[in-house]
Amino acid sequence: MDALVNKRIAKVLKGDQNAFAEIVELYQHQLYQICYRMLGNKQEAEDIAQEAFMRAYVNIHTFDQNRKFSTWLYRIATNLCIDRIRKKKPDYHLDAEVRGTEGLNMYSKIANDDELPEEELMRMEVQERVQYEISRLPDKYRAAIVLKYIEELPLAEISEILDLPLGTVKTRIHRGREALRKQLSNL
Amino acid sequence: MNACPENVIHLMDDYLDGDISPSDERQLREHLESCSDCRKQYQALSKTIAFVQSASHIQAPSDFVQKTMARLPKERQRAGVQR
Repeated sequence: MDALVNKRIAKVLKGDQNAFAEIVELYQHQLYQICYRMLGNKQEAEDIAQEAFMRAYVNIHTFDQNRKFSTWLYRIATNLCIDRIRKKKPDYHLDAEVRGTEGLNMYSKIANDDELPEEELMRMEVQERVQYEISRLPDKYRAAIVLKYIEELPLAEISEILDLPLGTVKTRIHRGREALRKQLSNL
Repeated sequence: MNACPENVIHLMDDYLDGDISPSDERQLREHLESCSDCRKQYQALSKTIAFVQSASHIQAPSDFVQKTMARLPKERQRAGVQR
């Protein structure tokens, strides 16, 4: 897969735009899925996934071909998703983390503000409910949970995508898992 | 869960990460057999994971490639020139 992609990249670098279409073809579904699970909205997912490909195209000369292309691409996309999520939240400044307490901040409280009433939750379809619960996770946990459980990527790769030490990735997955367990305690 | 060895929660996390040694796994299993609180927590977390993994796979819209290509700048920037 990587050798195949690198061949395409070499063509793109020579100015062959069609070769990039083949790269988009290869990664479109996975990239779109990450964006959709992060953002919970089809329009936004499409917009951000396209934006991620666009940025990958424009910056392709900075991609180190000894590395995995998907990791680089997913990193661009998750960063864009997190930016988008934060822009939607006016209280983003409350995200300031208390030193030494990974994930402990006002933000996690805000993320849970949009809790729906019980009756409404009961009426939800399973798929709708899954997305709703993922959307309620603070963005830093959400990215780790989506990459781990939806994309089923190895921890080492998630750590590269999120540009975080392995230990931090594990902590986020554990906290995300625990947060979801609490959210689902009435299920 | 007061009487539980402190490392049980770590073992549980390692196990759920799919990153546990056989001897740690044995230790965890033995503990879960004897402790109903930890067993409940373990079952709830397993259920949570299964719930998230029940999310169906999502496909990009059929015109995604075409739309993406339409958004690219027409001429590729020369290396080193940032937009």
